[in-house]
Amino acid sequence: MTLPELALQVAWARLAWGVVAAAVLLAALPLRGARARAVAVALGLAVMWLPGPASPAFWLGLAFQQPSGLLAMLCAASVGLRFVDRPGLQVLPLPLAALLLAGGALLYADAAGALSLGLYAWGFDAVQAPLAGVLLSVLALAAAVRGRQAWAGWAVLLALTLHAVARLPTGNLFDALLDPLLWLWALGRCGSAAVLWLRRRRTSVTMS
Amino acid sequence: MLVLALACVMLGAACEWRRVAAAGPAREPLLAVKAPPQPARAPRLVPHGGAGLIPMPEGVPAAHASALTVLPSGELLAFWWAGSRESAPDVSLYVARHAGGQWSAAQKVADRASLGRQLGFGVRRIGNPSAWTAPDGRVHVFMVATGLGGWAAARVVQLVSDDAAHGFSVQRMLPLTPLANTSVLVRSNPVGLGDGGWLLPAYFELRNKYPLVVSFDADGAPRWISRIGRSTTALQPALLPLSGTELRAVMRDIGPAHRIQQAVSHDAGRHWQDLPALDIPNRDDSVAALRLANGGYVMLHNDTLPGGSPRQWLRLSTSADAQAWTPALDVQRGVAGDEFSYPSVQQLGAQLHVTYTAQRKAIGHQVYDIDYPEAAP
Repeated sequence: MTLPELALQVAWARLAWGVVAAAVLLAALPLRGARARAVAVALGLAVMWLPGPASPAFWLGLAFQQPSGLLAMLCAASVGLRFVDRPGLQVLPLPLAALLLAGGALLYADAAGALSLGLYAWGFDAVQAPLAGVLLSVLALAAAVRGRQAWAGWAVLLALTLHAVARLPTGNLFDALLDPLLWLWALGRCGSAAVLWLRRRRTSVTMS
Repeated sequence: MLVLALACVMLGAACEWRRVAAAGPAREPLLAVKAPPQPARAPRLVPHGGAGLIPMPEGVPAAHASALTVLPSGELLAFWWAGSRESAPDVSLYVARHAGGQWSAAQKVADRASLGRQLGFGVRRIGNPSAWTAPDGRVHVFMVATGLGGWAAARVVQLVSDDAAHGFSVQRMLPLTPLANTSVLVRSNPVGLGDGGWLLPAYFELRNKYPLVVSFDADGAPRWISRIGRSTTALQPALLPLSGTELRAVMRDIGPAHRIQQAVSHDAGRHWQDLPALDIPNRDDSVAALRLANGGYVMLHNDTLPGGSPRQWLRLSTSADAQAWTPALDVQRGVAGDEFSYPSVQQLGAQLHVTYTAQRKAIGHQVYDIDYPEAAP
């Protein structure tokens, strides 16, 4: 179990919550033009560095601790895509969302005592977790260089690299790739895809 | 882009490889226990006198959940939380020192503001402490500090003191669950390992309750986490080392059995099996237990009286082998509605020190002389 230094965790929390806030601001506000978007991003990032309780990171940390590396990277990708005018693109691809949803359900059921697998403890394992991390990095590299939904592959790869190099956010492999907010995002993504699929199926059945 | 992606993979792999190589082959440390005298014998405890209450901070009306540890100098430290009421914003963690038969005035260790400043995020409630003096003399305090919500949003903060518990700094928030790191608490004290490390008992409580143990190295860095058994109705484990490898956990019960729950490990805490419950009543009450230096075991637990309330009677039981327990004496026996609960126990020389929550208003303290009756010829 190798954990990050507390000071590094505090800095990561502020930076990562800033990226998440910037992504949410750009998604929620009808901003036109790169300049307005840049101001929103700067605001989202800067406000997290306010001291103590004046910082939203202080209250977000109270509720959620730090975002996972993957949530921060996907939010960074979302911000980047809005600057290249591709706001309609789904940052969280359906296959990745399905993986996060299924893996998260198992991890959280185990953590809540419904199962007894010791999955979260395994995420600190000194040998198996690093091996799994490297294996996942290779798979993410393949996704990143394949071209289709490459940003998702990059997000996974960078989250794993951040975990391997700086142990952020907690030193646990699962916390690099998942957190409750990202799991809810994956749930929403899979849920909306399922609704769309059902609607299309119903329409095609009606037409035939 | 390919080069950059490859560089990321190589960098990550190099960092992980360096870490794996530094870890070396896993050699689990044994529990730090002296071989007990044979045959195994149960201790006899004689009240020493000098019982009373630990002085509360000025004007503070509520107290709960004490934890004891002994400094290398022989000074006994008691940690507990106190404030206007449980979960109030003014609840703080305090420490008092016992030397020469007297308790010092309570000194504040941490409060919500000081934790928030050091952690970089907010803390809502302050709860149970657990304390450990490492072989290097540093005092580690593990305390409950919740996120947004009640005790189910609890997290565990590790504080450390390099100056005999005069000043503490936050070392880290222990990462113990993937659920926004919530719902894990501590209550009873760690047990030592042969390499200078220790095992910290902890527990999860969000609907299901289950016990955990966290291993630390001699520098106070966490090594691994292990769930104690498969029960979802046992919590607040107290650990009893039987040998270098065998470890028992006795636990508070929230299940229908209303008996102290048990589990055993045969590899110094790494893996656990549930055992049948002890024949000692437990109606959702915390227990404390200790292996004594010269053999034998003690356990503090609440017992029930007909028509009484669950926490009015605090007893001390003894055992030669941590399996068969005999009630030895009453630490407190009040009337219905009284509360003497959440005990903590430490041995200091030939004396046993016991602290407990007294009516939720203060921390009670009792001292017993430890004696070993001669075996009948």
